[in-house]
Amino acid sequence: MASSHPPTSNSNIPDYEYLDVNTKPFHIGSFRNEWLNRLKPSDYSYQRDDDDTFDANFMKEMGVGAETMAELKSICSPDSLRCHPEGQQPDTELVPPEPMLQTLIQRKKRQDHRANQKMSKNRHDLYADELERLIVGRKPESTADIIPEGEIVLTINVYYPITSERINTSRPHMSLLMTGSHSLAELRDAICCVSDLQVCGEFSNTPDLAPDFISKDLFKSSFFFFEGVFYNDMRFPECQDISKTTIEWAKARNYPAFTQAKMEDTRFMDLTIKVGFPYLYCHQGDCEHLVIITDIRLAHKSDCLDKKLYPLLIRKDRLLTQKCTVCHLFIGRWFTTNDQYAPSDPCLFCDKCFRALHYDAAGNKLGEFLAYPYVDQGAFN
Amino acid sequence: MPRFQSVYCDFFYTPLTEDVEQLLARFQQTDSVRYEVFSAVWREMGFSDVFHGVTRVGELKRFCRVTLATALKYFLPPYSYQIRVGGLYLMFAFYHTQLAAPPVKIRVPLRDWAQVQKFLKDSVDSGHMDVLYIYQKLVSIKAIHYTAMPHFLSFQKQRKPKKEPVCADFIGRTTAIQELTSSDMLEELTNIQNQYEKLKQATAEVSSQVNMTHRDLSTRLQKCMSEFLTWQQKTYSGNQKNKKSGDDDEEEEEEEEETPAEASSSRARLLSSIKQKSYKNVQEASKSRRHRQAEAVESSSSGPEHVQEAAQQKKRPVSLRARTTKNLPMTDENITQIWHLSAPDEQAMIRKRSFN
Repeated sequence: MASSHPPTSNSNIPDYEYLDVNTKPFHIGSFRNEWLNRLKPSDYSYQRDDDDTFDANFMKEMGVGAETMAELKSICSPDSLRCHPEGQQPDTELVPPEPMLQTLIQRKKRQDHRANQKMSKNRHDLYADELERLIVGRKPESTADIIPEGEIVLTINVYYPITSERINTSRPHMSLLMTGSHSLAELRDAICCVSDLQVCGEFSNTPDLAPDFISKDLFKSSFFFFEGVFYNDMRFPECQDISKTTIEWAKARNYPAFTQAKMEDTRFMDLTIKVGFPYLYCHQGDCEHLVIITDIRLAHKSDCLDKKLYPLLIRKDRLLTQKCTVCHLFIGRWFTTNDQYAPSDPCLFCDKCFRALHYDAAGNKLGEFLAYPYVDQGAFN
Repeated sequence: MPRFQSVYCDFFYTPLTEDVEQLLARFQQTDSVRYEVFSAVWREMGFSDVFHGVTRVGELKRFCRVTLATALKYFLPPYSYQIRVGGLYLMFAFYHTQLAAPPVKIRVPLRDWAQVQKFLKDSVDSGHMDVLYIYQKLVSIKAIHYTAMPHFLSFQKQRKPKKEPVCADFIGRTTAIQELTSSDMLEELTNIQNQYEKLKQATAEVSSQVNMTHRDLSTRLQKCMSEFLTWQQKTYSGNQKNKKSGDDDEEEEEEEEETPAEASSSRARLLSSIKQKSYKNVQEASKSRRHRQAEAVESSSSGPEHVQEAAQQKKRPVSLRARTTKNLPMTDENITQIWHLSAPDEQAMIRKRSFN
């Protein structure tokens, strides 16, 4: 439905549109079928043959005798790759001295350079795998929750909206793993963006009465835009079709017609998309994120197999938090303007400093200022 | 610009590719596809050390991914059977010696599956049990991810587009010409030609005027083919001789005196190098525009002789407008309208920053 190309037998085999950048559009469900048609069920099963079964199967399939098999096994064992005598393994943390390989010569240079230069560790690299390590090979408690064999696993990068210069836009905000049977609405719920968490309004007179409901509960409309189709979130009665404006605008200017579908009714399996191509997620009216599906593959036994843990966050960018101007210790919670006590306009305060500076012991407002609740972008690291 | 340059972020890492090519060249010299020969070369070069000295987990993981992608590259066409066997052994070796835990998997893309199957069939036919054993073992220990594409794609252009995508020595020879010579095609052609001439003679008013075919077509074709075959034989065997005698020193090889047989191939090389230079100039346009030059994918041709040509044909990508129109066909094509898709300068800058 999404694509105007009728799927032919070949178009489901992904190929590059632009080399090493993105693929031509293909249908994810059909792609899965193409793989499953080609593979034996044992190829993508979560069960691993033990060595004896493997040997027996190999002997039967290839018609080799036990003697040849034993020879093969001894010659082709991973031990044949050991470059150092057993028990004398060098330190794997260090580049070996006097390397011959180009890769190692380059790495040695870098290692020496780093030793001289006292560089700070890059926190993005340091914690890059923290989340991933938690979920490797997790098995569900009940077998009902296991991801079926041959299921599609998608890796999805969600990027920051370009709202400030502070953000390095080449680094994804978060990377998620999802399966082919997930709907787009589940992806929408998994995307955590601060603009969903804002509290709107000015509360300098009544800081204790700042409401708890956040933008996400007030303005629920959102859409994804994949390959010429707007997928709107229509799960709740207060949801609006916010893609209508764009569609009508396009129609009025004689652009090709865009179509609409419901986010909650669309599973990834039904989508026709390009891998590596930037698509749009828009919520809160104008908070626009790029969404890129970086990888699609069959589920593997070392994946997290617990259905309940999906959508699975595998990487999250760590932004520096903006601290309170007074204590430089806590993360900013209040944002003031026209503030006679503040060193700058606007100014950021943590809850404690804000109250200590702007209110007396009885909680009465001192002086003139406007105060807004603030949610920091890095508050959820 | 990113604030820091991470290593091993690209799909391939040039020093590693050089190392791997060195390993495969040595393996090629042995004229063998036996695993024990490969593992001897591996041990001799101390190749397991390639993973040592990476301290950070993220970096290590990226590096392991690069090694396996490099090995996979040599496992797939257009390389000769022996090199592809080397690629397979490399995947096995890298997979087992990598230090990442859990191990990074080999990414086999769907579009190359047919080639893998063909390779396996060839191996069965020629009874290379160790090749099959290694492959089956990789499948059985679940070392493979069955994927859409060989790499993770996030709309980033690779930092250094590789100019010379295939190492010429590793390529298998085309057999199309040989197949043509051995088949009865030429005989058939001669017969048809004779028949045609006979018919032409029979119609008197045409025979004197019409002169559209060469009478000696089949003999000429025969001559061309045999010329190509001798050229191919001399070039390849010449190369291999050089390789064996001249201690792997490529520069030495270049300067070696040309035998007459090599003259034609060196001329071809010269021509292609000139061509490449001129293409290089085109490619290195101002840095600000480099992001636009995504490489259009040519439909890959079967013969390895065509591969380099295909890689050289860089086309400017079609405009956004054209692509949009193609993907979403207009309902009413008669009315022309001004399209506002080209962004003003400022916005273009922001877009560029986000993708570079």
